[in-house]
Amino acid sequence: MRTVNRIATLLLAVALLTGGALLAIGALLAAAGRPGPLVHRWYATLTTIRWQDAPVRAVAAGVTLLGVVMLVAQLRRWQPVRLRLAEQDGWHLHRRSVERRLARAARAVPSVRRARVRVRRHGDTWRPRVTATGDPAARGDVEFALRQELDRLAAPRPGPIEVRLVPARRAT
Amino acid sequence: MSNAAHRLLWTVLALLLVAAGGAASAVGLGWLPGGGAPLLGAGPVTWWRAGAPWSVLAVAVGGVLLALLGQRLLTAGLRVPGRLAGTLTHPGDGGGRTRVASEVLTGALERDLLRAPGVHRARVLLTGPVARPDVWVEVRLDPAAGLGVARAEVDAAVRRFAATLGCRPAHLDVTAVVDEAEARH
Repeated sequence: MRTVNRIATLLLAVALLTGGALLAIGALLAAAGRPGPLVHRWYATLTTIRWQDAPVRAVAAGVTLLGVVMLVAQLRRWQPVRLRLAEQDGWHLHRRSVERRLARAARAVPSVRRARVRVRRHGDTWRPRVTATGDPAARGDVEFALRQELDRLAAPRPGPIEVRLVPARRAT
Repeated sequence: MSNAAHRLLWTVLALLLVAAGGAASAVGLGWLPGGGAPLLGAGPVTWWRAGAPWSVLAVAVGGVLLALLGQRLLTAGLRVPGRLAGTLTHPGDGGGRTRVASEVLTGALERDLLRAPGVHRARVLLTGPVARPDVWVEVRLDPAAGLGVARAEVDAAVRRFAATLGCRPAHLDVTAVVDEAEARH
């Protein structure tokens, strides 16, 4: 969501910059008696279409829905950037770096190729979830590799590790 | 812009969208008066014609202001967040307090942290009163570095720093970023 917000802000900035410049140019052209065809079309539409017309109501409903979706997305709890190591000592690990380290550990297991790890924290335990491509029989090895890596990272009491191994499709 | 600033911006915009869309829906559905009127009523058109050339100038200035707002937002959005400069405070004898720039102190602690094995980047921020500062540390660790050793070294560096400065940190917050690169065997 943080990345989405940043990209959306950049798009909004570009829209404001372009829209503001076009508005200023359009106003000056209209004052000079040379309104562009776009202004003519917009003027005709805006002075004829009424609030109770179906297209206006549809756009209004869409805007409301978009606003509600955005509001929910902003107000819901976001996944924290950091994972707390212990209760009171103030140490945290960067979540993304932990997930990448664990994914690398999973990929180091023979027969496992692609691996993606998500770590959630429930109280004092970390619950990694691995989605990987490889032999389903390697589930135990993957779990062992992850436990070793979590141990190296001094993770607090790793909880159950969820491993989902999808067999690789054979090349035809 | 920080993540919090982006989040606040989009929360406010979402609220505006809900308010505008809800009001327009209410008018369109007949819950509020004016459903039969065109979107651009006679009022604004009359204002535009009667107010010329000032109405034109007002709209043009509005457009320029919007463009400037967009330019400022674009600059802020593209700016890479720089170093945060923490400020320590020292209460005075009277009602005032002295603000103490902390760059020299943070620089010293960062250099000490970089001497720890496995730590190849360190950022420190100090805030709060000089005697009981809040210490915010971010360290980047080599993939081969053991976290236990790094923790002990960082904690020792902070203790040395506190002893040198003659302070007692009120709060220590450390974020470790473990690099992904292959471990060198």
